[in-house]
Amino acid sequence: MTFRKKIVASLLVGSGVLAVSSPVLANDSEELEKLRALVQELDQKIRVLDRKNELAAEEAAAKKKETPVVKASEKGFGLQSADGQHEIRLRGLLQADGRGFATGRNQTQKAAAGASTAGYLDNTEDANSTALLRRVRPTIEGTVFGKYDFRFTPEYGDGKSQVIDAYLDARFAPWFKLRAGKYKPFVGLERLQSGADIKFIERSYVSSILPNRDVGASIYGDVLDGRLSYAVGIHNGVADGGDNTTASDFNKDKDYAARLFTVPFKDSDSALAGLGFGIAATYGNVDGTTKDTVNGSSTELTSGYKTEGQQTFFRYVDGSVLRSGIGEGATLTGGPGVSWLAHADGKRTRIAPQAYYYYGPFGLLAEYTRVSQEVAVGQSSHAKTTLNHDAWEIAASYLLTGEDASFKGVKPKRNFDLDNGGWGAWEIVGRYSELNLDDDSFAFGNLSGGAGVTANQSTGAVGAGTLQTLNHYLYADPKASAKSAHTWTAGINWYVNPEVKISLNYAQTAFDGGGALTSSPTHTFKDLVVRSNARDREDERVLLARFQIAF
Amino acid sequence: MKKYYSILGILVVVLALTNPLRLQAAEVSLLNVSYDPTRELYQDFNAAFAKYWKAKTGDSVSVKASHGGSGKQARAVIDGLDADVVTLALAYDVDALYDKAKLIPQNWQKRLPSNSAPYTSTIVFLVRKGNPKHIKDWDDVAKPGVAVITPNPKTSGGARWNYLAAWGYALKKNGNDENKAKDFVAKLYKNVPVLDSGARGATTTFVERGIGDVLLAWENEAFLALKEDPGKFEIVVPSLSILAEPPVAVVDKVVDKHKTRAVAEAYLNYLYSEEGQEIAAKNFYRPRLESVAKKYEKQFPKVSLITIDEVFGGWQKAQKTHFADGGVFDQIYAK
Repeated sequence: MTFRKKIVASLLVGSGVLAVSSPVLANDSEELEKLRALVQELDQKIRVLDRKNELAAEEAAAKKKETPVVKASEKGFGLQSADGQHEIRLRGLLQADGRGFATGRNQTQKAAAGASTAGYLDNTEDANSTALLRRVRPTIEGTVFGKYDFRFTPEYGDGKSQVIDAYLDARFAPWFKLRAGKYKPFVGLERLQSGADIKFIERSYVSSILPNRDVGASIYGDVLDGRLSYAVGIHNGVADGGDNTTASDFNKDKDYAARLFTVPFKDSDSALAGLGFGIAATYGNVDGTTKDTVNGSSTELTSGYKTEGQQTFFRYVDGSVLRSGIGEGATLTGGPGVSWLAHADGKRTRIAPQAYYYYGPFGLLAEYTRVSQEVAVGQSSHAKTTLNHDAWEIAASYLLTGEDASFKGVKPKRNFDLDNGGWGAWEIVGRYSELNLDDDSFAFGNLSGGAGVTANQSTGAVGAGTLQTLNHYLYADPKASAKSAHTWTAGINWYVNPEVKISLNYAQTAFDGGGALTSSPTHTFKDLVVRSNARDREDERVLLARFQIAF
Repeated sequence: MKKYYSILGILVVVLALTNPLRLQAAEVSLLNVSYDPTRELYQDFNAAFAKYWKAKTGDSVSVKASHGGSGKQARAVIDGLDADVVTLALAYDVDALYDKAKLIPQNWQKRLPSNSAPYTSTIVFLVRKGNPKHIKDWDDVAKPGVAVITPNPKTSGGARWNYLAAWGYALKKNGNDENKAKDFVAKLYKNVPVLDSGARGATTTFVERGIGDVLLAWENEAFLALKEDPGKFEIVVPSLSILAEPPVAVVDKVVDKHKTRAVAEAYLNYLYSEEGQEIAAKNFYRPRLESVAKKYEKQFPKVSLITIDEVFGGWQKAQKTHFADGGVFDQIYAK
């Protein structure tokens, strides 16, 4: 419009100049008419151009309202309908790890019978330094009709190939949401933190005795302007640290989960604005008989508690452990229906008080969990008892580059960029974590009186003879499992940009109450060697490194 | 369990009998999807109907209106815009609701009197005060050097009426020679410097932006321009124009979903009432009701009118020949 006015003004001035400078032309009305017509013609042309631009802008605005939006930014990649009601996002998480053990044992790999692999420890091998892909998770998530979210995440890392998340979320109102499918139950604080956002390369022991993923449904929401969140859920039930399959449950009873978490000073100017605390609990009942009949390979107990270096240091007895306890290489053939498994059989409760605090670049997360689990051994549920394990952690973090710490990820003030001088965000982290198992986990007793064991204790004969009593550790063998583990972890995180993170952790773990045995046998039966001299498992010192991309 | 169901049953019955909502008047909402220049008409009519409906039933009705190029509006309804009623510029656009989405029955036009067109209009010329280009008839509009403002017939119902009126004039003048008619219309569209998507946009181009020498306009739109900007424009009535019958229809699938059929049907029927016809006439639409037509006789100039059926064989044929992709309009209007 300004341009048009300028042209018109120029022409008018021009015609005026001509009129002043040339009296002949000024008096020539025909010439004036021509000039006037020219001005009008130009004016129309400019007006038409303006209007065309205006219409083009209107058309573009209208098309924008109808055209799906293609998104590609640091927040991910996706497509969104023009009205924002429908969206699909492609996300991914890749963690390439390296583990280097200075010292430590690998309980999962057994030496050959009679072999001595590391001095006085002869039933374990050194933990292997290794490279691995810890998490490989392509994710498709999205929204339909504005309030119904979905997420589908398979896991291809750590040697797995399974669905890890597959759920629907219905956000009816901020205070009333429904989630159904396979997901993280609303229980553990550290567990609820995304695998891409955890401050350490591995989670603490607390997460190892809480549910990982389960199948079921939860009602949850935020009230009081988001200052209080609640969740209640019903799930198939899962062992400590367990990741349920997507198959149907073989246990008729379900697990219930509930959580309350408050951020009382949220959005205030207070130094406590970043304080959050709460409590969560689960309750379930496991029918051991049903389990054994239908699925003898599952115990509804953990497959093993692991160290920071992901080496199993505790596991419940199963057939193989019993065999190793009696003698390496022995063949113990059970009679019909004989079960050697320790298994969950009865109530399982967990309680998990939890808190975090973030202030400026400083972050603190503390969590405690106690799990009580009724367990038994053998098909007829011998030696039923309740075992109480507890774990806790306290973790601190500090962003050296001044970014604000939060429960979610870190966004660097300046991304790493050699050309422009940015160094990303740098964070130091430290944590102490413990797992203490119930003393009764290592109770000694006999497995007779039920279906029986066809091992003759006096002769060591296997697979024949009269039913005899076999004395053994009932739930866990101190020669193979430690009673407690204590881990110090220190590390540094380099957030290259919001999507790329490089981490380095050093973790040192000490064990109490077993986990290893001496090389000296105490007695033998024919060709069977029985060892019972348990001693503390060797400390684990491990350096962990991670290169991560998450979008 | 039986006890539980008994208690539940009693609760349902009690709630049904005591439901306070049953005692209150209903509040109903309608969406009227209309074409571009009907804003003022339906603003007045909606208020009158709400008053009428409240007096008749005690219910409050709120009618929202959506306006745009008739073709675009029809497509929006087909694509999911929840229109309880449509009041579009031409029957072809309403037909599309059946053809493309089966939102209405095929015989929709027979459900209301006068082919479901409660008012009519025609096409006239709006020129600037003094008629500086001396435009008297269609021949003047097609002369070189005359800038003609008319919207895009691909998107605007009014534009299609404009186009067909010009075509009808040329046919008549040239003894039904289609080629000469085509040449004539091609010349006319050479004079069009800018194509708006709707009739109201074209009025804006001519009236507010000051572009062009003549606006091919709905009669009601031309009168409205005179009323709003007195002394700036004049209406020129051509020797021949076209009878425009903007139809109305209830969108069956939507009213059944919204449970608004009764009020939607009453809404359209009210257009045929004396009050509805008065409102149409006051907004410069030609009323169907004889008594009202007589009352406003002097308001509307007499003009010789052709119809879409007699000259073009109906809307389906006209659309296919002239406005479909690759049709005559695409051939003559080179961008």
